[in-house]
This record gives sequence, structure tokens and C-alpha cells, in this order.
Amino acid sequence: MSDKQRVSRRQFLNYTLTGVGGFMAAGMLAPMVRFAIDPVLKPSAAGDFQSVASVDEITNEPQRFEWIVEQVDGWYESEVQKTAWVYRTEDDEIVALSPICTHLGCTVDWASQEEYPDQFYCPCHAGRYTKDGVNVPGTPPTAPLPLFDHKVEEGMLYLGQAQDR
Amino acid sequence: MQWTRKDLSLYIKEKEYIDTLIIPLIPFNPASDSNVTKEAFQRELNQLFTHLLEKEYRGRIIVSPEYDYITGSNETEVRRINQWVESFQSQPLSHVFLFTFDPKWKKWEQELKGQLLWIPSMNERDLHSSETKSFVKEQVSQISELITAYW
Ligand code: FES
Repeated sequence: MSDKQRVSRRQFLNYTLTGVGGFMAAGMLAPMVRFAIDPVLKPSAAGDFQSVASVDEITNEPQRFEWIVEQVDGWYESEVQKTAWVYRTEDDEIVALSPICTHLGCTVDWASQEEYPDQFYCPCHAGRYTKDGVNVPGTPPTAPLPLFDHKVEEGMLYLGQAQDR
Repeated sequence: MQWTRKDLSLYIKEKEYIDTLIIPLIPFNPASDSNVTKEAFQRELNQLFTHLLEKEYRGRIIVSPEYDYITGSNETEVRRINQWVESFQSQPLSHVFLFTFDPKWKKWEQELKGQLLWIPSMNERDLHSSETKSFVKEQVSQISELITAYW
């Protein structure tokens, strides 16, 4: 009986909902656009150096040092703990290696395997790296461990971004 | 790996290397004023532990979505947990660990299809104090030893 009325009610609903939907879409889009262009939300740590250790602590044997960085990662701001393997070469150069295995991202250990006392070892799939961080062929990793940018100021070692090699 | 789109898409490609799953078992009872904070603390602690384990072994361990249940319902939950374990085992995950601070699971350990990893909780305190941190680190390294012993 009231077919006409029903249709028009449905149309009415359609119109209103489209309207509301449009508003909602605009409301959602606006902050997203802001995210895309707001420079504050870009990964900010680039180029920032953090003091990690005093240079006299650094020996020829790689040691694990830890420090904290503020990281802005899309939606979240958080404190992230970073780690590096740091040592001094025979030529007195400081080397700071990322401990993140280039295979699937486990944390590598120095000299943790008796058979390989002078290599980095990954516990996950037995990946290995020589002291300079170069992957040992025939083990799963296909790239060397990244090297941290570093500088020494007033007796302190500062580390920056890890660079892939 | 975490249960996120990004990590799981890597998982799908690299399945052969990832054989270990951790399911966090987390009890809560919203009706109990005297226990809510304690249980919330244990939940945070559980998340911290799995986070640290995941960070260290992310190329081989995957952390499942957390398994929550009402405190004390362990007996009736056994079946549902086993369903979780079975569906995870449709993937090549040969080591399934159930990680919890809830001591009641000890009684049901035999019925559980995953390997129970129970450790005693600690009293509520600030998770960020340096003393807590070193304690947690110590415990995490013991758990990693346990897990890697299965590899
Ligand atoms: S993650 Fe290091 S060898 Fe696979």
C-alpha cells in the first residue's frame, strides 16, 4: 500500500547517510593529510647522535653497548633501546656494528660459539659474520651487519644511524 | 615476529625459518577490585617479556595474539587453548610455548598441547626502574636459554 512512501523514505535515508558519510570521510582525511605533510611526524632521529660510551671503555674485543633513543614511528612516540657491538681495530679505528642479523633480524652475539671464537654468531639460523661484520658465505645472511655512523667528542663515543652496506 | 601485517607478510615468505610460537596466557578478573591492578601488572610484565624475546629472536619466533581469560577458569579454557595450538600447528610451527605468570596452569600442564612456560610473577612495581630492568633482563635470558634448548 505505501510502496511510494517506502521508496521515498529509503531515498531520504540514502541522501542523509551519504551526507553524513561525506562529512566523516572528510573528518578522517584531514588529519591523515596532515600526517602526510607534517614534518614533525617524519622519523626525526635522522642524523642525531647519542652518547653511548666513554672511549676508554672500548677495547679490541667487541662489547655490547646500549642506549635509548626517542622514536616517532607513525602513530606512536616511544623510547627504543638500541644496541651496538663496539670495538677498536688494530689501527685504532673505532667500529660500531648493528647487532641485527641481516637475514631475518635476530640479535647476533660475539664469540658465543666455541667453534667460532672470533666471529659474530646468530642463534636463530647459525648465521655468522667475521669481526668486521662481513657475512660468512654459506650461512643464511646475505649482507654485512650495518655500521653505525660515529664520532668521538670529549672522550665520548657518539653513535648515529646504522647504515646498510 | 609480531602479529602485525608487516611481520606476517614476511613470515609467509620465510616460513621455513620460523618454527617457534609464543602464546601469552593472560588472566583477568574485572569483578575483583583487589586483584585488577595486580593482574594488569602481570599483563604488562607478560607483554614486556614477549617483547624482549621477540626483539632478540624475531627471525625465528612469532608472538601470537594474547590469549585472555577470566581468572580461575583454567579448566574450562584448556579445550579452547588447545584449539588455538592446533590451528597454529597447521603452519610449520613445531615449537609452541604458552607463556604465563598464572600458576594455576601447572595443574593442567599435562592436558595442554603446547609447552607451558610458567614463571613466578613479581610484586607490583615500576617496570621502568633500573632494578626491575636488570631483574627482567636476567629472567628473559633464562627463558631464552630454555626456548633455544628446544632448537
Ligand atoms: S636471523 Fe640470523 S641467521 Fe637467520
